[in-house]
Amino acid sequence: METKFNLSKRFQYITLSMAALGLIVIVISFFSDPDRAWANLLLNNYMFLSIAIGASFFIAIQYITQSGWSAMFKRIGEALMAYIPYAGIIMLLVFFGMHSLYHWSHPEALAVDPLLQHKSPYLNVPFFFIRMVLFFIAWMVMTKLMRKASLAEDEKGGLHFFEKSEMLSKIYIFLLALTFSLGTFDWIMSIEPHWFSTIFSLKNLVAAFQHGSAMIALSVILLHRRGYFKELNKSHLLDFSRYIFMLSIIWGYFGFSQFMLIWYGNIPEETEYFYSRWNHGFKEIFYINYLINWFIPFVFLLPQVLNKNMKVVMTICILLIAGQYIDLYEQIFPGVVHAPVFGLPEIGFFVGFAGLFLFIFGKTLAAAPLIPERHPYLEESVHHHVH
Amino acid sequence: MNNHFVVGVFDEEAQLMAAVNETQKQGFQIQEIYSPYPVYEAIEAMGKKTRFTFAAFLFGLFGALGVLAFMYYTAVIDWPINYGGKPTNAFPSFLVVTIVITILVVTIASLFTFSARAKIYPGKAYVLPDPRSTDDKFVMVFDKSANDSEYQRLAELLKAEGAVEVYEKNIEPEN
Repeated sequence: METKFNLSKRFQYITLSMAALGLIVIVISFFSDPDRAWANLLLNNYMFLSIAIGASFFIAIQYITQSGWSAMFKRIGEALMAYIPYAGIIMLLVFFGMHSLYHWSHPEALAVDPLLQHKSPYLNVPFFFIRMVLFFIAWMVMTKLMRKASLAEDEKGGLHFFEKSEMLSKIYIFLLALTFSLGTFDWIMSIEPHWFSTIFSLKNLVAAFQHGSAMIALSVILLHRRGYFKELNKSHLLDFSRYIFMLSIIWGYFGFSQFMLIWYGNIPEETEYFYSRWNHGFKEIFYINYLINWFIPFVFLLPQVLNKNMKVVMTICILLIAGQYIDLYEQIFPGVVHAPVFGLPEIGFFVGFAGLFLFIFGKTLAAAPLIPERHPYLEESVHHHVH
Repeated sequence: MNNHFVVGVFDEEAQLMAAVNETQKQGFQIQEIYSPYPVYEAIEAMGKKTRFTFAAFLFGLFGALGVLAFMYYTAVIDWPINYGGKPTNAFPSFLVVTIVITILVVTIASLFTFSARAKIYPGKAYVLPDPRSTDDKFVMVFDKSANDSEYQRLAELLKAEGAVEVYEKNIEPEN
């Protein structure tokens, strides 16, 4: 069994040059159009953060349910969640773009707006950043502890570390449900401070879980094609597709619930959110979002012949990564840029962030054995078979 | 109608599976297997396939389209009412009802399909060769008339694979 992942020099060069190329575009766009640049920064950073959070949530769920099948792929999720500290640092930069992104941070807007005044004890700049720092510290500490237990298990073995990881996972999912929800309210929903939706955070947490799972499945398949994970079989693929299938249904359900109630209730303070997403050229994006994130996974992962097929699962995973971008584009751009723009800044930002994210992912993956040799469920994972 | 059967009783799933594979290799026709829980390997080994999921999908498609057509007919064509300034074809609000009724249609239609296919109906007498298969034993049943001359060989084979009991039985439907 191949236990060590060899990070090729080529991968490092490509990802680093992607990051460098992106950085040039990022710097240029901050001078040419700062509002758009800040929207891009928030979008890309939040997107890769949510993939990292989703991957860590995936690992936690595997421990809590004591799932055997996924034990072999644990390191992928661990490597994906290594982005969280970097996302924290970049998120702190939003301090300089508060006035571009968040209408409520303008003192003159606050002075004439009773609704914003009502929210200001919670929604103000200092408390916004106190919360941000607390959330990121909590995630960093928890993921660090989980990673430490996982690496110690490799060295010493024994059930002790499995039980410890399970305990940490139990704490982590409760912590994550609360902190990620509040974080999403802060960073994404407060772009439109008059509008509110309680299911919004659930929808984004599920989106993170969905796209985190898709990213794990995609990485496993790509590594399998490179000669790692030789034991990957149809049953593993089936279980990955089940996760993606199930989560796309929940995502679609939450998204539809949010939309349908607002559409049916027809109250102006709620419909303004969808008004700006159905006009000014955003309506196509609204439909494409549901097409990619719900319809395609739902239809193509339903038949047994397709959901065990590696090419099909891989294609859907790639589509879903694009789907996460489109979903967040629809949430962020109408409130900040007010027009469906897509050009060099968007591509540059995405390429830059993707380069950074993949570089960190590759480095972390190469830092530890790819297969957790002493995981108690490893045998079950290798010989996984479902009907 | 022949009701004379050979019954083999096993303690373990692994022994049952070994016996299933071995008897099939020797050319014996397994009539039925009774187990405390579903043993998928046994279903596969007996070559049983199901189109039940496809039937359920068709029921779902029928249910969804039927409900949507019904609501469209009532709300738009037959009795259009303007409420809340919304269009008479309030499609997003139809979807919730569609999901719920589709589930109902699939459930009920699947129940009847399954009952018809398995020939089960209320008040039907049940056939249970060995009541211990509802407890912790795995039970294989062979048709005796087909293997009458080879009964000894079959019994020895089952014993060799770890059957705790092999016996012949006349199985009558019980009430």
